Amino acid sequence: MILTGNEIIKEQRKGNITINPFCVSQINPNSYNYRLGNTLKVFYKFDGNKAFFRKIKIPKNGYILKPKKVYLANTKEVIGSSKYAMSLIGRSSMGRYGLFLQASANLGHTTSKHKWTLEIVALLPIRLYSGMIIGQVSFWKNFGVVKKYHGRYGSLNYPQESFLPVEKKQNI
Amino acid sequence: MILTGKKIIQEVQKNRIEISPFNKKMITTNSYDLLLGNTIIRYKSKILDPKRRPLFEEMTIPKKGLILKAGDFVLGHSSEYLGSDFYVPIIHGKSGTARMGLFVHVTADLIDIGSHGRITFQLHATIPVRLYPGMPIAQVSFWVPKGDIVLYKGKYQHSKGPMSSMTYKDFNK
Repeated sequence: MILTGNEIIKEQRKGNITINPFCVSQINPNSYNYRLGNTLKVFYKFDGNKAFFRKIKIPKNGYILKPKKVYLANTKEVIGSSKYAMSLIGRSSMGRYGLFLQASANLGHTTSKHKWTLEIVALLPIRLYSGMIIGQVSFWKNFGVVKKYHGRYGSLNYPQESFLPVEKKQNI
Repeated sequence: MILTGKKIIQEVQKNRIEISPFNKKMITTNSYDLLLGNTIIRYKSKILDPKRRPLFEEMTIPKKGLILKAGDFVLGHSSEYLGSDFYVPIIHGKSGTARMGLFVHVTADLIDIGSHGRITFQLHATIPVRLYPGMPIAQVSFWVPKGDIVLYKGKYQHSKGPMSSMTYKDFNK
């Protein structure tokens, strides 16, 4: 079951959902509108093993994304839940511009809590502003016993590029 | 919880789900197939700026189809008018569409409860593809909400065709 906006407010007040800062006006009928943080990381080279990203601070008058590039960013808010699973996506107003906010990895694990990394791809050149409302997160009821998330990304508060393939090597 | 196809039929009959026109043949095990309407929008602005109203042109998809080139991005729409005040719709591509490298939305699959209208498809081709008006292109599933419902009253309510982004309205508040 997906939580309605009213239920998200209730659960946030009880501490079962963390959204910080939280603003009631950003509640939708069944999700919460999150904002873009102030930092981007843009891909610039691949050394055959690992992708490298350069950090960019978004200026006041915005930053123009070029098509066919991958940018990492983060949500302005710390988002998480000890009780619900999450799905974090772009808002339809940004999808209508051809802006991907995540590359097919929308699922947020129960008990993770952080500023989410966004994987941004623009299909058309677009100007993004720091702090703008850019996507939405929904909360889903679990079925079964919750085991705490022990992943490497679930507590990071900045745009974090992939730990792969280093992660993979360690597992062999 | 996701509704089964049979449950979707029942809820359409009880007017708790709106799908118009409704055709039982388009029901699948867990969803309803949506057809592509005949209008598309292509942006003309050199750089999209969420603070400004974007420039775009509208086109009719010819009967013989319209070819999208690899990398193209246009807005299309469902020929069905749909929505629900009781369930949360989620839009998906049909697997047959995805196998042609065609995206039907760009990370925005979630529809607000209480939103009624024709769905705007965010069509992105990764390889060349020919689109025909009336082709089955997407599907909608319906999910059970938990909590008190406040219905959608947003800026895209009652869309009749593809709607370009209206983010400039957020900044002018």
